[in-house]
Amino acid sequence: MTQVAPGGPSPPGSLSIPVGARAWGGAWWRTPTARRYLFGYVLLAPAVLYVALLVGVPFLFSLYLAMSDASVGAPVARFVGLENFASALENAVFYTAVRNTLVFTIGAGILKGLLGTMLAFLLLQPFKGRKVVRALIVIPFTLPIAVSVLGWKWMFDSQFSVINWALSRLGLIGAYGSPDWPVWLGQPTLALLSVMFVNVWRGFPFSAIVLLAGLTSVPPEIIDAAKVDGASFLQRFRKVIVPMIAPILFIGTAFDTVFTLSDLSIVYLLTNGGPDGATEILPTLAYNTGIRGGALGRGAAISLFLFPLLLPAMILLLRTLRRRQF
Amino acid sequence: MSSAAVVPRSHRAKEVRRHTLIYLGLAPFLVLAVFPILWMAITAIKQDADLYLVDAIPFWFRQAPTWKNFDFLFHSTSYGDWIVNTMAISFWVSAITLLTAMPAGYALARLRLPFAESLGIGIFMTYLVPAIILFIPLARVVSTLDLQDSWWSLVVVYPTFTIPFCTWLLMGFFKTVPFEIEEAAMVDGCSQLGALLRVVLPVSWPGLITATIFSFTLSMQDFLYSLAFVSISDQKPVPLGVATELIRGDIYFWGSLMAGALLVGVPVAIVYNLFLDKFISGITGAAIK
Repeated sequence: MTQVAPGGPSPPGSLSIPVGARAWGGAWWRTPTARRYLFGYVLLAPAVLYVALLVGVPFLFSLYLAMSDASVGAPVARFVGLENFASALENAVFYTAVRNTLVFTIGAGILKGLLGTMLAFLLLQPFKGRKVVRALIVIPFTLPIAVSVLGWKWMFDSQFSVINWALSRLGLIGAYGSPDWPVWLGQPTLALLSVMFVNVWRGFPFSAIVLLAGLTSVPPEIIDAAKVDGASFLQRFRKVIVPMIAPILFIGTAFDTVFTLSDLSIVYLLTNGGPDGATEILPTLAYNTGIRGGALGRGAAISLFLFPLLLPAMILLLRTLRRRQF
Repeated sequence: MSSAAVVPRSHRAKEVRRHTLIYLGLAPFLVLAVFPILWMAITAIKQDADLYLVDAIPFWFRQAPTWKNFDFLFHSTSYGDWIVNTMAISFWVSAITLLTAMPAGYALARLRLPFAESLGIGIFMTYLVPAIILFIPLARVVSTLDLQDSWWSLVVVYPTFTIPFCTWLLMGFFKTVPFEIEEAAMVDGCSQLGALLRVVLPVSWPGLITATIFSFTLSMQDFLYSLAFVSISDQKPVPLGVATELIRGDIYFWGSLMAGALLVGVPVAIVYNLFLDKFISGITGAAIK
């Protein structure tokens, strides 16, 4: 309609049926459709190439590294097959790391879900000062993670912890030095709970905001209709709201799971895996083996063990994104 | 007659009760979210000795507040360099991201390319390939480019997550720009490229600003890449510098740590806060529909 292909008038219908363009003898790549495709792929190329070269290739390269004895010092690597994976599986610390990674991700995930749901329903109500409250509550999520973890490190200080100060004044624990004085980052169970808590602290606003975005996207007429039909609050929630916001919940969960599984900074800065491996997770183990210890191959193998854990989240996301189609 | 006066009153009482319940429910969340930041802020302007007075109430000052910790940052550490590095990294990452994600987002949203949807999802999925899987092979890439221990390594690496996110974001954004304005320009004799540059871009500045903001805030959230690739003090970005240079052995410079963390953390949090809804609809927007 708007453009006539150079090289002759196009027969009627050729614009809508690209195959027909070839039939009339003109060079097919000069048709408007072909030129639009070319233009499009040229525009796409930089982004696709960047991502392919710096995400795709490194990913494949990590498969190779994981099967080599590459180290920081020795640039020429030898192929060692599955040796790195096998040696990881022989290491007791590895099992602790896997267990902690799972406990950490699942435990923190459940807590974030619960807190986020409560918060989302509170924020869904109309009330005075809602915007201010919302802006304050999302602070943990918006603050750069290394920054807030340093704050928690100070609050978990073995001697000057403000949490302990408060507990002590409330009479819940004794004074510094008494046996019930918690050393948050120094006792194995407490340390694992502490790093999980910081992850929950950072993530609960995200859960709440994602859920809130979902809840506000449900048309009120539908809920009213369910009410008229006599559905109780729980029934409305389970049978109407949850199915409608399921896609957004899946996406939120997928993101949060990936970020929690792969986050190194909380554990690295708070405990670096200690005390005595009690908070070791796969990311810290991979970092300490691969970069600190210089064993690139073994580090790459350890971080690849995260992949099967990440995969369900990625598949969930992929399916959700594909299904919403049109 | 009295009932007419009572109805609004009881309505008000009901509203007050409702608000009280909501505020009571929100209070623990607010304390949880805000207290750590307040505590960091108090620590940042306390004198050292005041930090360790265990018998005093720690929430307030026994000795006069001080700016000493900020002085220390700027005069005895490379904090000034870290800020400059952070700014420079953000600038270059934003530039690379805009120059690649903007055309890609436009092409995916507008040009009715075969497989556009799958390509878009494919690019977006790479946002979920986490740093922890990529940092070891990327360490090799960085050393091949001879960028180890320079903040330029981060300029190369950060677009691996800003490009996927911003392409997706801009794709969604370009879909909302009406087709008609572009068609009108082409009827008037603009080429496709001309229409993009002269008509679509000028009305797309909110999307471009959002993409720039996210290049910045997402870069600021990184810790692993900077930790793995940059170990020279004056090359570090702020989060890494604060986390690694203000701890000497067993000695923590708590006041300066908190000061340095908040000085950059708070502005980032405020900007992110303002754009948070865009972030959420960026990652989920597709799903709401």
